[in-house]
Amino acid sequence: MSSVYLYAILSGAPSCETGSGVCAEPLRTVAFGGLVALVGDVTQLPPASAMTLRAQDAVLRRLAAALDAVLPVRYGTLLADDAALAEALESRRPQLAEALRRVAGCEQMTLRLWGDAPAVTPPAAAPTEAGPGTRYLTGRLEAQARAGHVPELAPLRAGLGDLVREERAERHDRPPLLATVQHLVPRGAGSRYVETVHAVRDELRPWRVSVTGPWLPYAFGEDAA
Amino acid sequence: MSPAGHAAAREILETADESLLDLVDNLLNRGVVISGEVMLGLAGVDLVYLRLQAVLCSADRVERRQGR
Repeated sequence: MSSVYLYAILSGAPSCETGSGVCAEPLRTVAFGGLVALVGDVTQLPPASAMTLRAQDAVLRRLAAALDAVLPVRYGTLLADDAALAEALESRRPQLAEALRRVAGCEQMTLRLWGDAPAVTPPAAAPTEAGPGTRYLTGRLEAQARAGHVPELAPLRAGLGDLVREERAERHDRPPLLATVQHLVPRGAGSRYVETVHAVRDELRPWRVSVTGPWLPYAFGEDAA
Repeated sequence: MSPAGHAAAREILETADESLLDLVDNLLNRGVVISGEVMLGLAGVDLVYLRLQAVLCSADRVERRQGR
C-alpha cells in the first residue's frame, strides 16, 4: 500500500514537467485551498543517505527555477493519503500562505561563524543573595536571550544592508563553530552576498566566516509548523 | 580532548564538505513540519541522526588520515 510523500508547498502549479522523485516515482501536484503540494506516491520512506538527500534537494531546485516560491518540507514527511494531506494543510493554511509570501523570489545563504571563543558579553546581574535555583534560571534566561544574537557579525550586517530580507541565527558556542546564520536574500543576489562577506572578512577578525549557498529557503518556513 | 585531538577535530570540521553538511542540516533539521504525528517518530531520531552523521564522517576521516 502506498503513502503520500510530501516534498514541498509551491506557490502554484509548475509550468515545467514535475518529473520523478527520490524513489523514481512520478511526482504530482495536489491543489488545495489555494495551496499546491508537490507529492509522490511511495511504498515506504526513502532511506536517508547523502544520495537521497541530494536527490530530494535536486528535485526541488529544478522546480524552483520555474516557480516564484518553493517551501521545502522536512525530509521524511509521509502521509497516509491525499485526505490526510488535505487535513494537514488545512490546519496550517494561513501560516503556509504567509511563509510562501515570505520566501517568494528569495533564496537562502548560510553563514558559519568560526573562532576560538565567542564574543564576551557581561553576565546578567543575578541578585547577590540569589539561591542556586534563581542563579540557574538567570543563566537559562541569559542563554535564551543570547541564542539568536550574533554580535560578532555586526560589521557584516552593515555591509549587507538591505540585501538581507530576513535572518535566522543559531548559536552553538562550541569552538571552533560558534554560530550558524541563515539569510534570506533575493534570488540572484548570492554572488553579491559572497563578495560582501569577503570584503569585510578582515573587519570580522578574530572571528572567521564561511558561506554556502544559494539554498532553497529551508530555514524560513518553520513559522508554519 | 587532547591538544592533538582538538587540532584534528578542528581540521576535520573546517575542511568537511560543508555543502553536504548543509544539506543534511537543511533537510533533516529544517523545512516546514507539516504533520506533527508523522514527524514525531522522525523528530525523535533526526537530531540524533544528524549528530551521528557528523561523528561517523569525522571518525571515517580520522581513520583514513591515520592509515596514511
